[in-house]
Amino acid sequence: MANLETSLKECLSSIDGSTAVALVDYTSGMALGTLGGGKDFNLEVAAAGNTDVVRSKLRTMEHLGLKDEIEDILITLNTQYHMIRLLKGRGGNGLFLYLVLDANRANLAMARHQLRRIEGELEV
Amino acid sequence: MTRVTTTWTAYETTAEALAALAAEGATGALSGERGIVYLKAGRVVHVESAFAPDLGALLTRSGAVPPDGWWEAVDRGGTQHRVGHRLVDSGRLAAGALEVCHLGALFDAAYFVLAHDGRAQRFRPGAAHWLGAVRSVPVDVVVRESGRRRALLDRIWPDPAIDTLPLTRVPGTGSAALPVRRGRTLTQVDGVRTAAQIASALACRTYHTLVELRRLAADGLVRAAPPAAPPLPPGPPPRAVVWDDPDTALLRRLRDALEAL
Repeated sequence: MANLETSLKECLSSIDGSTAVALVDYTSGMALGTLGGGKDFNLEVAAAGNTDVVRSKLRTMEHLGLKDEIEDILITLNTQYHMIRLLKGRGGNGLFLYLVLDANRANLAMARHQLRRIEGELEV
Repeated sequence: MTRVTTTWTAYETTAEALAALAAEGATGALSGERGIVYLKAGRVVHVESAFAPDLGALLTRSGAVPPDGWWEAVDRGGTQHRVGHRLVDSGRLAAGALEVCHLGALFDAAYFVLAHDGRAQRFRPGAAHWLGAVRSVPVDVVVRESGRRRALLDRIWPDPAIDTLPLTRVPGTGSAALPVRRGRTLTQVDGVRTAAQIASALACRTYHTLVELRRLAADGLVRAAPPAAPPLPPGPPPRAVVWDDPDTALLRRLRDALEAL
């Protein structure tokens, strides 16, 4: 059965165009695990910054009185896609997977599909 | 067993003692005022604190693992320090899910041990936790994250008493128009329970619960319960005991304490 490390590796190996992945706690902004990135892309910084994106969207939904849940968030840059996928889990464990994709090589629909599958291995 | 040459007692805080032990690659259990940090080869493998529900409480309360399954894993794997492995091997939990939950519980407990830090009290060289190896984290990451969490919580509402004391609602305040999670947390505040007990009841991570409780305190809805009233001055003995009215608060506390064992 997949552990955290192999799940993150699977993200990079099985999702076309993926260059970095992190599992992040969005209440504290801490990355529980990261893979990829490198010196020109600091994943810890990206993880902490993207918790603000998630928190802001959750707060907006609360203000709007929406009872729905966020499945994923897609941010489209000129050359990259950033995909944020919230883990469901019982009791709302407050985690998201953050995936960086090369826009030229990625297939968004496939990436979403794959990420959903990998997420299943980490949910409680 | 690792030979420990560090005089860990020389340090003012548990965090500093921990850093010195980590530099030696020590294995064992370091007790602070509010919990115990387990090291293996200089890395943190587990942290437990009475102020944060443990992994078992999180897994069983959330329904992820049935209580029978948890206790079976403890019975069979406990003496060999392989409870985590047992849970995964018996197919009750995916390895990734166990790691995620374990890290959550580890950092939750570490906040209490390290963020309001006093002198380390005891180091037991070679001691290992019965949960067994799940994942390890460098000491500096745990210390840094604990400090960061303290700063984040203090920014919301700078009252650390909220983290540890029984909490009560401020009389005369309503709960209208609260976001769902905060409202759910408020319903658990009953003048008796502490943040740890509320987190356990909600099967929610302690840090997440602390964030909601500090926000409720900042909103003026919740505060630390006043200390128990002093004992009554001696007087005529109370009349016949009325058994119809059990002390539900006491019973609840007793239940929580037994469950926490």
